Amino acid sequence: MHIPDGFLSPQTYLPAWGVATVAWAWAGRGLAQRLDETLVPRLAMLTALAYALGLIMLPLPGGTSGHAIGVAALALIFGVRLAFLAYSGVLLLQALLFGAGGITALGVNALALGLVGGAVAVGLRRLLARCGDNVAVALAAFVSLQVSALLIALVLGVQPLIAHREDGSPLFFPLGFAVTVPAVLLPHLLIGIGEAALTVLVWRYARRKGWVAA
Amino acid sequence: MNRARAWLLAYVAAVVAISFIHQPVALAAGLAVALTAAGAARWRLLQRAALALLLVNASVSLAYAGLAWWQGRPLGDALLLINLRVLLLVYLGFWLVDRVRLLDALAGWPVLSMIATLALGQIAVYRRLLDDFRLAFRSRNPAPPSAAAMLRHAGAQAGSLLDKSLHDAEQAAQAMRSRGAFDA
Repeated sequence: MHIPDGFLSPQTYLPAWGVATVAWAWAGRGLAQRLDETLVPRLAMLTALAYALGLIMLPLPGGTSGHAIGVAALALIFGVRLAFLAYSGVLLLQALLFGAGGITALGVNALALGLVGGAVAVGLRRLLARCGDNVAVALAAFVSLQVSALLIALVLGVQPLIAHREDGSPLFFPLGFAVTVPAVLLPHLLIGIGEAALTVLVWRYARRKGWVAA
Repeated sequence: MNRARAWLLAYVAAVVAISFIHQPVALAAGLAVALTAAGAARWRLLQRAALALLLVNASVSLAYAGLAWWQGRPLGDALLLINLRVLLLVYLGFWLVDRVRLLDALAGWPVLSMIATLALGQIAVYRRLLDDFRLAFRSRNPAPPSAAAMLRHAGAQAGSLLDKSLHDAEQAAQAMRSRGAFDA
């Protein structure tokens, strides 16, 4: 669902880059102390999985594209800060190697998918802990994907309002909220089921390996 | 500053500048300059960029054209502007990656370099393993396989992918440990 280059106005992506830079500095603080030879391989493995998931895209007329993202699994296993950093790296690689996403949109994509998506997944799993592990993880993954999708839809939908010519013709992404919100959200309700199932599988794998407390 | 880093910074500056240009003619001129400067690689890069943006931009452009037609609004040059800008930006990204090694360009940012190194290593592992599985599955199924066989194959493949990539990443991390990468 990440936004490609050329769809966002400077009024949107420049402030987003500013916020993302502060968030990256926060997420990277004390990173050297947290990383060791046991954590790094696990992080690398799930980061590559998130990368692969992001490339299996379904084009959405009126949106950008739909796909699972794997951020919930990263965040639940490694925490929001590491998930945000790792997913930002994934977005950068996808943008430069495949033209999926982009440099100008990196700030918005990283914040909406990596930071907010990760935080929602972790927060919701804690809230739903009494529902049982599998249910809590599945719901956390499902809802985090929907929240990220909604944010992306809102950012896209606001573009014709803030960046247009005098005659009203759009300069960047051309479709408004009325189109982007349903176009992005509805397919992600279905994709979210896949994301939830995948996150539960990865979570159970991580628990079996002893990466997370049972 | 190394050459790769200079290219990366020039690319970022160009990308930001392009987002302030709202004339299709100026964007087309920029694309023509970039094509000329890319030398022999130009058509390969242009084809790659066009294919990359086709997936997303075609659906968005069609949706916008349909909406404008339904509302009786003129299309103007909005679609030309948006598609030209995206094509130029994607082309520049591919040109950058074609000209410089990404890891050299990121060398000044240790965290980013480490994540990129590990992720690129894992991606290579995934690609190799997927190729092996695909070829093995094809050789075992001279006739088209059933849905159940494909599902079993996908499950086995997913499990192997996770185990194999973890094993490889562990080896990479041990190598990094022996070279002092985790020493504070």
